[in-house]
Amino acid sequence: MLIDAVILVLREVLEAAVLVSVLIALSMHLRLRPSWLLWSVPLALLAIVVFASSLAAITDALDGAGQEVANAALQIAVYGLLVVIASRCFSSLPQKKRKQSAVYWLMMLAVCFAMVREGSEVWIYVSGFAAVEDYRTAVYLGSAIGASIGMSVGALLFAVLRAMPESYSVRTMLLALCLIGAGMVMQATMLLEQVDWLPAGKSVWDSSALVSEQSITGELLYAVFGYESSPSYLQLALYLASLGLMLAVILLARRNAGKRNV
Amino acid sequence: MRRLFTLILLALLATSVNAKTPVFEIEIRDNLFHPAELVIPADTKVKLVIYNRDATPEEFESYELNREKVIMGGRKANIFIGPLAPGSYPFFGEFNPKTAQGTVVVE
Repeated sequence: MLIDAVILVLREVLEAAVLVSVLIALSMHLRLRPSWLLWSVPLALLAIVVFASSLAAITDALDGAGQEVANAALQIAVYGLLVVIASRCFSSLPQKKRKQSAVYWLMMLAVCFAMVREGSEVWIYVSGFAAVEDYRTAVYLGSAIGASIGMSVGALLFAVLRAMPESYSVRTMLLALCLIGAGMVMQATMLLEQVDWLPAGKSVWDSSALVSEQSITGELLYAVFGYESSPSYLQLALYLASLGLMLAVILLARRNAGKRNV
Repeated sequence: MRRLFTLILLALLATSVNAKTPVFEIEIRDNLFHPAELVIPADTKVKLVIYNRDATPEEFESYELNREKVIMGGRKANIFIGPLAPGSYPFFGEFNPKTAQGTVVVE
């Protein structure tokens, strides 16, 4: 039970930790105070408790598709927010103040939305099994260990991003946001296929023998790239499309900012 | 525009109803899946209805099927899988991964 709890909580925390680290590093690069995180955490906690406690009703909604549709909507919203955040990272001086205060709140929202799904899973697991006397200690201890490892990985990533030369680190951060965003779209696609809102096809390839999604490498790749060992054609197409769209938006924003500065 | 939207929606509904998707049921009891092995036809979309008879929640998860869904205690959940190529696709309960294990066998 202890190890199960460690793995489960680690998986859920890792994804959020990677996103939070990149966004904090990015806001420090933009000379923005990363204090938006202080708003995200209590707000996300509130959303998690509400979402988790009404999950039975949410699951039954929309003819049994409610859970997936709600989660997919959250993930697509995170993608949308990341696109806007990335496009606003380049701005000429006069516009800087106004644009950046918007980025502050967009980051707050993105992290909040990203935490709801994984957070509610952890909440349901911990509250469900901590109620069973025999499991309680293992569940609490395992969850604490899993969460600490996840957050440590996030802190490490943050340190690496801050230690890089500025021009490299911005590129890395924006690329990471693109990959995380596209991964979110891919997850949303999978969820909508799961309830037959999108047609599910056969998988394009199967790389599970190469990198299993259950392995540490697989989990890390999942957190950063949204790695899927056997994606469907639709998942892959939407992943590439959302990645391409976000990259195009970033390049366009950079070009426009360059023109204004001249 | 609105009429077009309604039409598309109706068309979508019609296809999902007309398809006559076969339904298979799985129960979770004492952190175990019953049946632990489910045989389904190849190249066919199938609807799984999973009943969680335990008081504790469970998460149906399968890397091979690309599926994951939380099922609260005493509730049920629908999951569509397939069309799949013949083979065996393991699934497990993420909240009790040691005991709650099963396989979808596609023939």
